[in-house]
Amino acid sequence: MSLLAYAIIGILFILLLALLLRDKRLEEPTETVGETEYGPDLWDEKSLLLYERIFDPGDYSWLQDDLRFSHLARALVRSRKRLALRWLKAVRRSFEHEVLTPQMFPSGAETSTDFGRWRPLWLTLRFHFVWGYIFFMVRLFGPYCLLVPSFSWRHFIPELSSRRGPLRDG
Amino acid sequence: MEMYSLIIGVIGLILEAALILRGRRSGLLRQFSLFYSYITFYFSVSLAIFLIYWLRQDFYPLAYWFCYLVSLLAEFAILLEISDHIFEPYAAIRQLGRFLTVCICAVLCVLYILPSFLHQRSTSEALLEFSLRTSLTKVVIICALAAAARYFRLPLGRNVAGLMMGFGLYLSVYMANFAAAQSFGRTLYADILRFIGPLGSILCLAVWTVAMWQPASVSTSRRKLGDAGHRSWEELSYKLVRFNSTLTRLLRK
Repeated sequence: MSLLAYAIIGILFILLLALLLRDKRLEEPTETVGETEYGPDLWDEKSLLLYERIFDPGDYSWLQDDLRFSHLARALVRSRKRLALRWLKAVRRSFEHEVLTPQMFPSGAETSTDFGRWRPLWLTLRFHFVWGYIFFMVRLFGPYCLLVPSFSWRHFIPELSSRRGPLRDG
Repeated sequence: MEMYSLIIGVIGLILEAALILRGRRSGLLRQFSLFYSYITFYFSVSLAIFLIYWLRQDFYPLAYWFCYLVSLLAEFAILLEISDHIFEPYAAIRQLGRFLTVCICAVLCVLYILPSFLHQRSTSEALLEFSLRTSLTKVVIICALAAAARYFRLPLGRNVAGLMMGFGLYLSVYMANFAAAQSFGRTLYADILRFIGPLGSILCLAVWTVAMWQPASVSTSRRKLGDAGHRSWEELSYKLVRFNSTLTRLLRK
């Protein structure tokens, strides 16, 4: 790399670092227990029902297919999308409250195994990755899209269908 | 030039000694053990180099470069210290700092630092290139740690923020200085390299001395905050698994 590139990297690095370190949120404690609006309690039955309802396409199908109220069905999708995004944000807030509360374990309670120490980190990173993916998909395609791509396309390939056919028939 | 080196050297030694003495008095020595180990090492090396310069000048270049290369590796201890202190109070992400540091080191070492040895060049050029690339690796690690702290909205505290800022200034000055030395060549730039390099170290030591004068680490105060909520690792893991399984169910719908 040339001198100019390194000089630019050096200057940008200092500016970026100063910007990151100057941020007020990094200097002040973020959590104020009792004041923050926490997300849904995943241990509560009502919250689980709400989540099932938001992501359940039953109401939409009923309006669209049975009653043929397309405009109402579309309005329902829009409002459910808003609800789904709010629910996802609330879940993340709730998760961050769990993760970002400073904790001190009683002496001797620290896990001794490497696996035990790394597991919460793995679960945290996994949560953030999956949450990011779901949020992106819901925001882009709505709450009733298939979040994991289906493999139904393979039925369109005759070779695959004919191979599986006799097996299925027994 | 000799007078300048002498003054810079003495200022450096005074700042290092002040850091160690103040750290011992304020109790930060125990909290930031890796950082103070590095400072003690740096103090001893600076003193040794200083004595060699005055007693055995013929031996000085070899001793200087040897100590410099060792300190390049020892500087990773500061990164580990910073990464540990940012995430320490939060049990679930306590290992995130080390994870980021080790991953970035491993990836850049294989893809960026080691390939520099494949090119044939003189020893001084190879040393400059190695210094540049390790400095850039450290810059990437500091940026990643600062970005992770920002992503999780973690407060850093004056001590850790000062460590990051001081180290950042030092790395930037060294990177620009070595890149200039590489571009302009030994004959043109040797004097400027000797002039600017130590200034970067003094700047860094001055920032560290101010930042570490008093214990203001967030981790210590927040530990007391979190003391009210004793929890077991199993309880924490169970809750995290519950959050993850809720999202997994959503994926499978």
